[in-house]
Amino acid sequence: MTLQIELNGVNKFYGAFHALKDINLAIEEGTFVALVGPSGCGKSTLLRSLAGLEKISTGEMKIAGARMNDVPPRKRDVAMVFQSYALYPHMTVEENLTYSLRIRGVKKAEARKAAEEVAATTGLSHLMKRYPRELSGGQRQRVAMSRAIIRHPKAFLFDEPLSNLDAALRVHMRKEIRALHDRLNATSVYVTHDQIEAMTMADHVVVMRDGIIEQQGRPLDLYDRPANKFVAGFIGSPAMNFIPAIVADDGAQVVLDFGKTQAKLAIGSRLSPGTSLTAGIRPEHIKIVAEGQGAFDVPVGIVESTGSATFITSATQPELTIVETGRGGAKSGDIIGLAIEPAQLHLFDTATGRRIEPQSGQVGIEPLRHLHLAGHAS
Amino acid sequence: MKRILASVTDGKGFDIGLVLLPLAFLFIMSGLPLVYNVVMSFQEVDMFSLGSFVRPFVGFKNYVDLFSQPETRPILLNTALFVSSSIAGQFLIGFGLALFFWMNFPGASWLRGLFLVSWVMPGLVVGAIWNWILSGDFGVLNFFLRETGVIEGNIFWRSDPNYSLWAVIIANIWLGTSFNMILLSVGLSGIPKDLYEAAELDGANALQRFFTITLPMMRSTIGAIIALGLIFTLQQFDLFAGITSGGPNNSSNVTQYWAWDLSFRQYDFAKGATISVIMIVFVMLASVVYVRSTRHEVRG
Repeated sequence: MTLQIELNGVNKFYGAFHALKDINLAIEEGTFVALVGPSGCGKSTLLRSLAGLEKISTGEMKIAGARMNDVPPRKRDVAMVFQSYALYPHMTVEENLTYSLRIRGVKKAEARKAAEEVAATTGLSHLMKRYPRELSGGQRQRVAMSRAIIRHPKAFLFDEPLSNLDAALRVHMRKEIRALHDRLNATSVYVTHDQIEAMTMADHVVVMRDGIIEQQGRPLDLYDRPANKFVAGFIGSPAMNFIPAIVADDGAQVVLDFGKTQAKLAIGSRLSPGTSLTAGIRPEHIKIVAEGQGAFDVPVGIVESTGSATFITSATQPELTIVETGRGGAKSGDIIGLAIEPAQLHLFDTATGRRIEPQSGQVGIEPLRHLHLAGHAS
Repeated sequence: MKRILASVTDGKGFDIGLVLLPLAFLFIMSGLPLVYNVVMSFQEVDMFSLGSFVRPFVGFKNYVDLFSQPETRPILLNTALFVSSSIAGQFLIGFGLALFFWMNFPGASWLRGLFLVSWVMPGLVVGAIWNWILSGDFGVLNFFLRETGVIEGNIFWRSDPNYSLWAVIIANIWLGTSFNMILLSVGLSGIPKDLYEAAELDGANALQRFFTITLPMMRSTIGAIIALGLIFTLQQFDLFAGITSGGPNNSSNVTQYWAWDLSFRQYDFAKGATISVIMIVFVMLASVVYVRSTRHEVRG
């Protein structure tokens, strides 16, 4: 596998605003990469920099081995699917598709043939003579993608292409884009703020915040071992529960602090006693058992059922969200026991938010001895 | 009665009232004079019959007489030249300026606003100022052309029959450019930016983007501007009154000035009306173009 896109120490400034901070990214040929993060995290700026629509301030950017820093967009040979689709409103679907070919001086008959081939694969054949304003949102989306496909570019860049579609169509197009990527054996960079899209579509997920890459890797690795509290909270739905905690005197347990009450939980390894940290538990990793049978008991606050799953919010501070498949019998006001596998407990440094690996038994911070641990209920 | 009143305060009657008011205004202030003018072009009108509506009907006599006059052909040609040159000059310079200000450099919008000054100036004042600029002996235009070596001797812009029409055309281009620029600027800013980005990624260079994106997207704006330009230049009277008065020897005379001259200085109201009717035909055609181009706006 060769590297198709390489970013080395890329920075982007808008005046005093530091939009991209020292971005390093290597994308292999044929990979589907998702750039994901909250709005303003720099993911779109990164994509537009790849396209050449924004100029990077420092660092190096390579596409297919060639340095691209000063290459104008039209010579980069990358195709972009815009959030707005950016279809040419004064051209028919066919003219939209063949635009890049006509610009390059491809013969009319040849361009038309290419357009027909692409349209056949994307199901646009019967719409070739229509204008964009006569198409539905989903059809426009297909035209935008077909316009990219017809060029056989070095890379496909997607800028939140599904955010203007309704939920059902979005789920459908998600699969279609991924299937298209596989069939064309393309290299794709996909920007989204929707972590579900990133998780389901991508081979490689890049989580960004405030212009830095917080973590990158395979989707399930990000889910299983988030590098920090931000990634842990961003990946996964519903979001991970975070509870302030302190390592107990024996070093093998953490004490979860629910304000009025505390709860002890085994961590399966040893940490320095008294260390203050943040415990993270995914809602789907908490098992509801009878009162007194689990690691600790909580009162039930709100119960919401979608039919297939039940979402339970505990009446504690902070609240715990618990997802139970099927329909549980818990009612608001009940006391339920919660069981949590130690392996599914995530620990984060409270100050830096960085992940603490219980398995290694190493804690990078000084234990906080002055905290009292007396009087904790188990 | 009560039902009608209720309908006016709260219902269809209110809508009809809103439409009727401007319609009545238009009919009384524009429609009737227009019809009166057309009727007059088929009548024999003199100073004595001016006060009455009932005048001898003469059919197309006024039209036949008009076209048999020796000055009619040159004046119609002058009008065509004046209209086409003015529109071409106003549009090209206006489009150039609009594209220039579209680059959005610091102070662009402020400078663009300043250009409107020419548009708010009364035509007679513009004419007076251009009289000085175009003056044969001490005019600044002659000075400039002479110093840059374009001409050898002075051009007497206003009194030389070869140049008199161009004197008015130059002033009219100056007067109408800013209006063209503002409308074209609005059209340009209505083109979504991402179209240019998509075209750029599709491999189009600046020139190709202009011809494949900007121009076709501006089609309705351009159609509207040309149509309005045609109407405005056919209306242009002040500059002729202010600069050449149609002379010398009709060399800079155009239909709109001539119609006024015939009606109100030679008191040949029938001929004046006849010329007006011919102009109405052209303005109607321009209006059709204008209405059509603004209706078929292309927006994504």
